[in-house]
Amino acid sequence: MSGPAIEVDGVSFAYGDREAVKGISFEVAPGEVLGFLGPNGAGKSTTIKILTGQLPAKSGVARVLGRDVRRDDPEIQRHIGVCFEEKNLYESMTAEENLRFFATLFGLKDVDTGELLDRVGLADRAKTRVAGFSKGMRQRLMVARALVNQPMVLFLDEPTDGLDPVSSKAIRGLIEEEARRGAAVLLTTHDMWEADELSRRVAFINEGRLYAVDTPENLKLRYGKRSVKVRARVGGEIVEDSVALDAEDTGERLKEAVAAEGLLTIHTEEATLESIFIQMTGRGLD
Amino acid sequence: MTRPVSHTALVAAIVRKDLREFSRDRLWLILTIVGLVMFIAVFWMLPGTVDETISVGVTPPDLAETLIGLSGGEGEGAPAQDDAEGQAPQGLEVVRFDSEDELRAVVAGEADGPDVAVGLAFPDDFAGLTARGEPVTVTVYVESGVPAEVRQAMESAVREIVYFAAGAAEGVDPMDVVPVRQETVVLGEDRAGEQVSMRERMRPLLAFFVLMMESLALAGLIAVEIQRRTVTALLVTPASVTDVLAAKSVLGTTLAFSETVLMLALTRSFGAGWSVLLVAALLGAVIVTGTALISGAAGKDFMGTLFLSMVLLVPLAIPAVTVLFPGSTATWVKALPTYGVMEAFVRVTSYGESWAELWGPLALAALWCVGVFGAGLLVLRRKVRTL
Repeated sequence: MSGPAIEVDGVSFAYGDREAVKGISFEVAPGEVLGFLGPNGAGKSTTIKILTGQLPAKSGVARVLGRDVRRDDPEIQRHIGVCFEEKNLYESMTAEENLRFFATLFGLKDVDTGELLDRVGLADRAKTRVAGFSKGMRQRLMVARALVNQPMVLFLDEPTDGLDPVSSKAIRGLIEEEARRGAAVLLTTHDMWEADELSRRVAFINEGRLYAVDTPENLKLRYGKRSVKVRARVGGEIVEDSVALDAEDTGERLKEAVAAEGLLTIHTEEATLESIFIQMTGRGLD
Repeated sequence: MTRPVSHTALVAAIVRKDLREFSRDRLWLILTIVGLVMFIAVFWMLPGTVDETISVGVTPPDLAETLIGLSGGEGEGAPAQDDAEGQAPQGLEVVRFDSEDELRAVVAGEADGPDVAVGLAFPDDFAGLTARGEPVTVTVYVESGVPAEVRQAMESAVREIVYFAAGAAEGVDPMDVVPVRQETVVLGEDRAGEQVSMRERMRPLLAFFVLMMESLALAGLIAVEIQRRTVTALLVTPASVTDVLAAKSVLGTTLAFSETVLMLALTRSFGAGWSVLLVAALLGAVIVTGTALISGAAGKDFMGTLFLSMVLLVPLAIPAVTVLFPGSTATWVKALPTYGVMEAFVRVTSYGESWAELWGPLALAALWCVGVFGAGLLVLRRKVRTL
């Protein structure tokens, strides 16, 4: 596949009178992770629903693997994997049965469920019914289910939500593996650090509008403050000073700061994705 | 590597998954098994014969009192003013009625009142007419389910009563009494000689209970699929909404049909009209599956689904319940979706009827199937699409 795995061009959608998505456009290339960032109700899940064929776009064109998602096209469904925000697993079935059932829907009879469960750290729970799973275990099984057909496009809606740090790290590792395999990943998350860590590019969405689609580095350069914060003890008091990195006297000021008596710390004041998001949209991510 | 999957394979996979879930839902599994065993046990425990005591309504009231006195019993008023019953010898119970209209209505099952299968309406001036030796006309109202021999006995009894009454009148020689003229009016479809025991009457109701249990189970399964949003997980695979709907329909209809057929088989219902029964069971299964699709899709939670199911199923139970109370069936009952199905159960097993007599009610039930099932599919499709 040479073109983008996901193409969204001027897509809109409304729930009744409420416009949930307003003419958004972006692309995701094979092997790329696009972090889709926005607060609750921003339009992230609606966009995923449109791209996975659950909702029809009111206008615009959305393509997955070069095929228009408006048509109920099993060819698209065969090659996508979706990890939903809600833990929609079959509770009376075991982890293995859940995976095997979904594998059957993809025409896979010999899927190695053990290997999949091992990748998400649930190998020893293969025969346990999902009803007995913790929130984190369910989340990990959701990710395993999304990978059951080795998808070319992965839609991950808050995949690390509710996970402990170790499990989160394991899932992030999986996402990176999938991207290396060549899968295009659309990742929605509240966790800016995670988006920064995993995404080649991030998209900021708020109230149905896309505010930016770019690499985290570019966004930080464009919107962040390039400065260094210096803290020193002067006469018993702690004094803070900010040194701009783009000023004419930056070099001299930094030399002075390093040479000064009572220097405590020097650190960069790089902008975070969250601060840029707030700067651009006027609201936070929570 | 994934490969294209046929719709049949997708539907089969979802049905297998649903069956697995169903078999692990202890509540429905126990209710299904216990229900089936209990319904069949109830059927066999019910009396298979008919009580021979016949309650006879008599008007005018004074003559009824005389008859009660002659029979050595005590009277029962209509509508039931007195507590005691006029238990006459030879299985006759005399019940007093104030007017012929009231008597007719009660025998026809159109009005509340004592349970009487036969009504004898004598002229108001019966005593005077017999005393004067003038002709007497007595109308015998017979409920349609009363056997022919009882009807004939009643007609004979009328003559005896006339002689008794005449004999009781002072100064009248019974031998001078003019022979009585009788008019027999059968209320409802004439079922003379075709008595139906309580066991037989219960058969359609028990079959409906089986259908109802399966409807509730399917509605619960659908409701859980919707409330937990597992259906959205299905729809991002090659399975389409149509595949999901087809799977639910196949599962619901198959379970309801097979259990109803099992229940009919264990109650020895299959005979010459087996094909009619199978078609009736299939139509019943489709109708209740349609209601399950509606209540499963529309219910917000377990109680909501249960409530909606009952709202839809109770009217469907009415035709099965009316069999318990023989008499004319109201037109609106005949218009209910399950009427044809229940009629087929009764008329095939109790009266040996076949396609020639039952194609009409079954055709109406088939039309209802299309309506109810179509509505169910629409409601569920809409629900799934808006999740």
